Amino acid sequence: MVSYVPGDLTLTVRGGTTLAEIGRVTGEHDQWLPLDPFGSDEGTIGATIATASAGPLATGFGLPRDLLLGLEFVNGRGEIVRAGGKVVKNVAGFDLSRLLTGSWGTLGVITEVTVRLYSRPKVDRTFAVPLGRGQKSTTELLRAVAASPLAPFALEILNGAAALSLGFGDNPTLLVRFGGNAPVVDAQLKAFSQLARTEEVEQSTWPALRKMDGDAASVIRISTLPTRFLTVASSILADTEPRIMISINPRRGIMRLVTQDDGDREPASIADPGISLDFPSDGEGAGTSVIFEKLPAEVWPVVSPSVASDPLSRGIKKAYDPHNILNPGILGH
Amino acid sequence: MILPSRSNASTVADRLAEIVGDRHVLSRPSELLVYNSDGLPGYRRQPRLAVFPGARDEAIAVVRLLADEGLPFVPRGAGTGLSGGSLADDIIVIGLHRLKDIISLDIENRRVTVEPGVVNLRLNKYVAPHGLLYAPDPSSEAACTIGGNVAENAGGPHCLKYGVTLNHVLAMTVVLPSGEVVELGSKFGEHDGYDLRGAFIGSEGCFGLALDITVKLTQRPQTVRTLLADFMSVDKAARVTSAIIASGIVPAALEFMDGPTIRVVEASIYAAGYPKDAEAVLLIELDGLEAGVSADLEVVRRVCIEGGARNVKVARDDVERLKLWQGRKKAFGAMGRLASHLIVQDAVIPRTRLSEILATIGAISKKYGVLVCNVFHAGDGNLHPNIAYNADDTDESERVHKAMTEIMNACIAAGGSITGEHGVGLDKMGYMESIFSDNSLNAMCELRGVFDPEHRANPGKVMPIHSCKEWNAVASAR
Repeated sequence: MVSYVPGDLTLTVRGGTTLAEIGRVTGEHDQWLPLDPFGSDEGTIGATIATASAGPLATGFGLPRDLLLGLEFVNGRGEIVRAGGKVVKNVAGFDLSRLLTGSWGTLGVITEVTVRLYSRPKVDRTFAVPLGRGQKSTTELLRAVAASPLAPFALEILNGAAALSLGFGDNPTLLVRFGGNAPVVDAQLKAFSQLARTEEVEQSTWPALRKMDGDAASVIRISTLPTRFLTVASSILADTEPRIMISINPRRGIMRLVTQDDGDREPASIADPGISLDFPSDGEGAGTSVIFEKLPAEVWPVVSPSVASDPLSRGIKKAYDPHNILNPGILGH
Repeated sequence: MILPSRSNASTVADRLAEIVGDRHVLSRPSELLVYNSDGLPGYRRQPRLAVFPGARDEAIAVVRLLADEGLPFVPRGAGTGLSGGSLADDIIVIGLHRLKDIISLDIENRRVTVEPGVVNLRLNKYVAPHGLLYAPDPSSEAACTIGGNVAENAGGPHCLKYGVTLNHVLAMTVVLPSGEVVELGSKFGEHDGYDLRGAFIGSEGCFGLALDITVKLTQRPQTVRTLLADFMSVDKAARVTSAIIASGIVPAALEFMDGPTIRVVEASIYAAGYPKDAEAVLLIELDGLEAGVSADLEVVRRVCIEGGARNVKVARDDVERLKLWQGRKKAFGAMGRLASHLIVQDAVIPRTRLSEILATIGAISKKYGVLVCNVFHAGDGNLHPNIAYNADDTDESERVHKAMTEIMNACIAAGGSITGEHGVGLDKMGYMESIFSDNSLNAMCELRGVFDPEHRANPGKVMPIHSCKEWNAVASAR
């Protein structure tokens, strides 16, 4: 911990501080850093920023780039560089904070991070909705939620395999988290109950969902326009593939596929999502990105990422890490 | 840096006119007068030429012509900036206000793609019938453009809850100073790889021109409630601000106006009905679901009363609400009543230090015999001490600048930043070395060098030139 003034709702920590430690310290003042990347709270804030890792709470609080106020890093020449600051609003100088977020350690080693905090909500409750059995169709439900003034902290749809791993039976399930003062949570619950039959579940559902990829062979994230998921969610969820656990965040337009290692697959097929992604064409064709979050080491060269191979990215890499010593190859340089 | 010679410039003007049409190239000094300052009248620089492309392809062709000629240029939106960032010192201005198409609106996915010259408020009026809004709302929203907002990473009162421009831009098509056209970010989903969109936002015209910008839209809140709390002491209002933030409630906006500001606003056509004898008012807005807003409203009202507010008034309807806001949003304009020139600062401080810094500002204004009007985004700790003065009075100018420097140094010493939303431009370049080390400044120079290796886009802004190692090496080699 470098500095923490609860009244400012900002926190500055060294890069190696775990999310668990941040949670403990801020919790003492009824505050929190609403970042819950997939994985566990034993991960560090530096790694969370470096990989731009987000989880279900991104629905309500944004991505790491949105909560980051400033950072310090050491570039490939061993120079200490500071970006941003410790106040909640800042446009001084070019935005190296955003640049470093999601750069996977290729531009610098993040040594210090300043983030924005929030007060812990007075009420924070989670509800599960079993999908597909006597419920309105998934698409209809999602459209109704999208059109409503509901502002959930988190909203995730799980396929049967994912629901089963969390102990909800093997039915596709929608998880929704409402937080805030008591009246706002009650009002949202009341409105939501008119759309679907809900059942309150433990808050520990979220850490369990985040740990789903613990021993997975591969984790693939697919990102596209949120509405594209509205129309295909039902058919994706209907595909009962017990080996692939799927969670969809319809607000962010994110689907995560967590594949267990069954030991007898060819490397190339592990990188294959294994389900048909039949997004309706909207005339623009492009726009779906497949991001590999986790792959067996031997598979990595097969899919050979090239996400930072454009001239601007290569120029930045060369300027910040002229000797190519920082996580070489990870972004396909 | 290669500047056009006078004779050369006329040739360039002709070739620019071939691209955009005669009417859209200005070269006579009298025509260029209006482009010689931005919203901060203390700085004036005369451009050599101004060119106004009327279509995306024209903008690209203009940039390519300047690239071929090796000529520097300054991009400009509506010219409402408050840091001298869009001034062109004997070089070419590319004005983008004619690129004003709203290209596509995707209601269900809540995003819209616009050209850079689209005015912020016009975008909001366009999306309002669909129950949507574009959240960043600079006080100049009625005039400023989305392209300018991107260049400055603009904020506004409602950024306290909703975030600034960088939190709302998804993607951009950009023409780099070389003339190359690149896509930054993703219109469709989340982007992988370096966040070049994030790097571009707030680059103050030094990285190129945005040709189109895709932004997120936000659902209009179910309920909006606006309170005006007035105080007989600046200190009490400052402490109440800190107490509201510390309570954990995130108001949509939390704005502060001190006595001198109240009185100049009330004397102007923007009079909002603020109590003229008050030493400070807080304008507090809460929004969201009706049930939650009502509960928070009672908490905020109680914090204000317990903190010494004389009155807490809740706007009864939208008419009253908009009137309260008009006084705040037009306060800078109203200060034109005080003197011919206005200097505006934009420092940000930790929100627990508000009371202490406002007292320091009060002491500094007494010491130099200047009138400071404080009107600012208190919830963010983003101060705007303004001093109206007569720039032709050298003694007064000197006192004003000394006072402003002292105020800025006090904010820096409190752990703050030199600019929260107005940008560095020309105005705050001198303070960059107070908050960033040589290595940090050099890293920023290197980033700029990747986007603009020839340093032709908005030269001489943001970064003190001597802080760029690479530039120094080039200079000493000559």
